[in-house]
Amino acid sequence: MLDFSAVGDALTLLSSSYIAWIYLIPGLLIGLFFGAMPGISITMAMAIFLPLTLYMDFLPAIIFLTSIYTGAGFGGSVPAVLMNIPGTSSAVATTFDGYPMARQGRHNQALGVALAASVIGTLSSYILLLFLIAPVSAVVLKMGPLEMFAIAVWGMLLLGSLAGNSVWRGLLAGVFGVLLGTIGMNTAGYVRGTMGVPWLLDGIPTIPAMMGLLAASQLLNLINTHYLIEDEADRKISFARILDGVKLAFTYPTIIFRGATIGVIVGAIPGVGSSISNLISYSETKRNAPDGDTFGQGNPKGVIAAEAANSSSEGGAMATMLALGIPGGGATAILLAAFAMHNIVGGPSFIANNKDVVYAIIFSNFAQAILLLFVGLGFVYLASAVVRVPLRFLIPSVLVVSTFGSYAIEGALSGPITLVVFAVIGWAMVRYQYPVAAVVVGLLLGSLLEQNLIRTWQISRGDLGYLVERPGAVLIFALMFLSIGLTAFSRWRRRRLLSALTTEEIGS
Amino acid sequence: MKDRKTRRAVDWGHLALLLLICGVVTAYLLDARATSLKVNNLLLVEPAAILALILAAAVLPQCFRRKPEEAGGEAEAAAQESWRQLGKVAALAAAFGAFALSLETVGFDVATFVFTAFGIYICGERKLWLIALFSAVFTVGIVYGYQLLVPYPFPLRVL
Repeated sequence: MLDFSAVGDALTLLSSSYIAWIYLIPGLLIGLFFGAMPGISITMAMAIFLPLTLYMDFLPAIIFLTSIYTGAGFGGSVPAVLMNIPGTSSAVATTFDGYPMARQGRHNQALGVALAASVIGTLSSYILLLFLIAPVSAVVLKMGPLEMFAIAVWGMLLLGSLAGNSVWRGLLAGVFGVLLGTIGMNTAGYVRGTMGVPWLLDGIPTIPAMMGLLAASQLLNLINTHYLIEDEADRKISFARILDGVKLAFTYPTIIFRGATIGVIVGAIPGVGSSISNLISYSETKRNAPDGDTFGQGNPKGVIAAEAANSSSEGGAMATMLALGIPGGGATAILLAAFAMHNIVGGPSFIANNKDVVYAIIFSNFAQAILLLFVGLGFVYLASAVVRVPLRFLIPSVLVVSTFGSYAIEGALSGPITLVVFAVIGWAMVRYQYPVAAVVVGLLLGSLLEQNLIRTWQISRGDLGYLVERPGAVLIFALMFLSIGLTAFSRWRRRRLLSALTTEEIGS
Repeated sequence: MKDRKTRRAVDWGHLALLLLICGVVTAYLLDARATSLKVNNLLLVEPAAILALILAAAVLPQCFRRKPEEAGGEAEAAAQESWRQLGKVAALAAAFGAFALSLETVGFDVATFVFTAFGIYICGERKLWLIALFSAVFTVGIVYGYQLLVPYPFPLRVL
């Protein structure tokens, strides 16, 4: 289960240089700051800072981005508790009991509880990942181009069908992304869709496109909002009471363990992730709790259940990304893009050849989780000021930072132009409820899909009987249909849970 | 197509987006077919493009929805508000486009200062001295910050 020589190498890798560690606290702070800004997602924070990692070594770059990921996971709960606004989609269930606690003057305790549950959730998910990553990689190493193609299609279908209100719009967004991802010269040497633009020969610049779709488009959407938070009354933070909340969370290990397990399992499914796991964990805890009736009225157990699940989803999503090279959502798509920027291809061969790096990433996440406890304590103390940044200053500033970042990738205008084009496309797609994350994943997987399909075609010489020779692929296709059915069920369940919980909240 | 309580409303914006997607997909498919009809060229692109067009056809009816009739004044006010909001988004998007295109010609420093100031104004700030001060400080900070981090030269005019 655990490759001890690789573990030793990972520890040597991490202890041999301080460089990998210096980005940890800045990453956590960036994540906390962006996660706490409603409307600015984890993905957006990571997208904005992705170009910076081009000038770092591979390991520090990944540690920096995963620190943002970890920080933002908790950051989203700050406005959820203080203002009833989930900073990220995964903090929805945190609002159910966090905000009532704040209304009762227990916001310090609620923030402490949320922080401790997030820290333990993240830690436990990476402990699971540590033991499971080696056996998972051994299985996925046996996969050929057909199996990889099947899995890529699976991820696309799940993401397309889950993210958004309309399945058709989700699938259209995904397929549109795949087509955009194949623009340029393909592996067989054919040049398509470049419109005579030389820099499109290598395809659409993925990172500026991603920044445009995920970050800049959202900022255009926020233009008509003057302040994220209008009401500033009584938002003072007490350090001692936050610590009381931290202690309180440790008295409910069962709720944390249940939330973490749900988070890891649901987080590992591409396209599902933390936005659903927090709701499932909340409802399961409510169902099992003797004081279930008080959920929605300021019961700290509700906050613990939601936060333990959404933070542990990170480990699950990382398992899928590292083992299969398939991003489960926007954040892991950006991590995969960071891999590509350092000429490293994620997926089975990466784990087999770089177990030490994988373990180093996992160990650094242990450190991130522990550091989050201390950095987070300081952060929530200052949070009331952070969440009041006027949007009229924030929007143009972040657009400028994104533009500088996109220019920095190649030192050419192709980055900023792509950024603007995809910002407008993204804005329109968000406006009409198309999941932009599906376009992003399509854009990233487009060339991978085509490459594996062409290879399969060349190996099989176009004979469909080849499928029979690859039972693994048949199994994946079967699992794909089963999983789509199950996720459609979980989507229906999420809708039902949300409506039931919301109705109860209104009623109470 | 009107009755007393509902009216057939066309979501023109959604329709335009859908037509744009279809236009891009069709143009790409035709370009790919013009490049070569070999399997290695069209193996993924052709079926994916056809699938995209089928999916777009499935989404098309969602652009035409029955909506309840609103009281005249309310509907007019809502429409005016919506147009004003859209105008702000369009102005910021246009300014953003102009900013991106002018970076190398007018210099990153000048373009950043002008776009930041204009952007803050569009977003609602009306104190000109504050706009000028923030834009100047922000421009200096971001230009020097990125120059430290990035090895590529940023064409500058003033700084």
